[in-house]
Amino acid sequence: MNWLDSTVHRALVEAVLVGVLGGVVGVFVIARRLPFFTMALTHATFPGIVVAAMLGVNLYLGGGLFGLLVVAAVLAFGRGRGQDFTTATGIALSGGFALGVVLVSAQDGFTRDLAAYTVGDVLAVGTGDLVATAAVAVGVLLLLALLGKELLLAAFDPVGAAALGLPTVLLDFALLAVVEVTVVATVPALGTILAVALIVGPAATARLLTDRLAPLFPLAAAIGVACALAGVWVSTQWDVATGASIALFVGLVFGAAFLGTAVRGRVRRAAAVRA
Amino acid sequence: MSEHAPTLVLDRASVAYGDVPVLEELHGVVHEGEAVALIGPNGAGKSTFIKALLGLVPVVRGRIEVLGRPPAQARRDVAYVPQADTLDPDFPVSVEQVVMMGRYRRIGWLRRPSAADRAEVADALEQVGLAGRARDRFGTLSGGQRQRVLLARAIAAKPRMLLLDEPFNGVDAVSQHALLEAIGALKAQGASVVVSTHDLAIAHLACDEVCLLNRHQFGFGPTGDVLTPERLRATYGGHALELRGDRVIVTQT
Repeated sequence: MNWLDSTVHRALVEAVLVGVLGGVVGVFVIARRLPFFTMALTHATFPGIVVAAMLGVNLYLGGGLFGLLVVAAVLAFGRGRGQDFTTATGIALSGGFALGVVLVSAQDGFTRDLAAYTVGDVLAVGTGDLVATAAVAVGVLLLLALLGKELLLAAFDPVGAAALGLPTVLLDFALLAVVEVTVVATVPALGTILAVALIVGPAATARLLTDRLAPLFPLAAAIGVACALAGVWVSTQWDVATGASIALFVGLVFGAAFLGTAVRGRVRRAAAVRA
Repeated sequence: MSEHAPTLVLDRASVAYGDVPVLEELHGVVHEGEAVALIGPNGAGKSTFIKALLGLVPVVRGRIEVLGRPPAQARRDVAYVPQADTLDPDFPVSVEQVVMMGRYRRIGWLRRPSAADRAEVADALEQVGLAGRARDRFGTLSGGQRQRVLLARAIAAKPRMLLLDEPFNGVDAVSQHALLEAIGALKAQGASVVVSTHDLAIAHLACDEVCLLNRHQFGFGPTGDVLTPERLRATYGGHALELRGDRVIVTQT
């Protein structure tokens, strides 16, 4: 019998994959202040999923392709005169979700699939999902490694990047597309509503623990993997929702790190006053 | 100075965002080793002037030549120093990582910094007097120190032309001195410098030429000839000026 024939084993592998992927991509999301964009993407890919379900093609492929259109639209609109990126993102969020709801209300018969899509179920992932997540993880990590320094400059100082002659529009698109495929790859495990937890939470926690860029990536990945594995364990022990368990662990770890750093800061200030 | 080659040529140039002209009738020449101060009130178009020299805002009439080329083709030899407070102080990036960004163009895509690049970074930080802060996070430095880090980033790029956007705003005396020293050293090596500033004293101190700007050009030439009360009054739209000997103070910008 194949080790991956076990539901729990598949869930554990998926948890490790999405933990690493979400953690690493999350470092860019946090540094670039993109959590709201990430949240919006989870909603804006919704109509793509619905259309894919109607056409009978892979839901995540549909969501992924539609999401790329949304990314391009947000970028184009956000660069227009008198507009900004946050406004464009807000419109994409509500507009995308509304389109999905309209499409769903005009149909019936695939509500079960769509429920899994909104909250996810890591215990239901098949080998195909694992292969897809692994492929996305390898592709994304490779892209971030190769374009790391250019993405860093474009994130930190966009005008400075343009002044060097870097193609800032392409770099922005590359980063947003990375966030988008990460969202789509995380959806089978956590669902659209909770996927954002594993992308924003571990990186935000790591950011509380270190000021340096290089250790942020492994730290965020480790926190993501630990939360995902803990969520799977809790949900198999007590038969509660897996995606929600993972997201709860992410919240707990962030809360603990936040309290820890706040207390440490207070102690240090008190010591500085006494000294 | 005219025996040196011209590095910046403005020939009745107008620049515009879309259909909206921002600066009109720019006209003048800067040579190797010269510094020109851009002086004018807020909203006069000083930042746009600098962006036009980077080829980030199009020239719609006339001609701008940077190092004998159209601006966008000269970027390899031009370094840009933004205002430090336009950058996110929470960004998780160290001082040496910021300075290394000045080397990116020379390092090229897909490649990592070499030992030689790291030596250039250390050297540039030395020149702005911040060698001891290399490993600190950029955002933990004072405003003036962050401005010096950004100048070090430009120095590490080995530019033939340096563009600085309001580098002296909110900068303490120590950092101002360090900035002026480093800019002077670059000039001595033959680089041309374009610096926008509100500070007329600094323009007198550090610059050979002045360009008075407010939507269009109110004067371009040697500092002593151009920084006259009449021209300043015209540039600043008649706002009160007080004259004390050869010093001119703009009381309202």
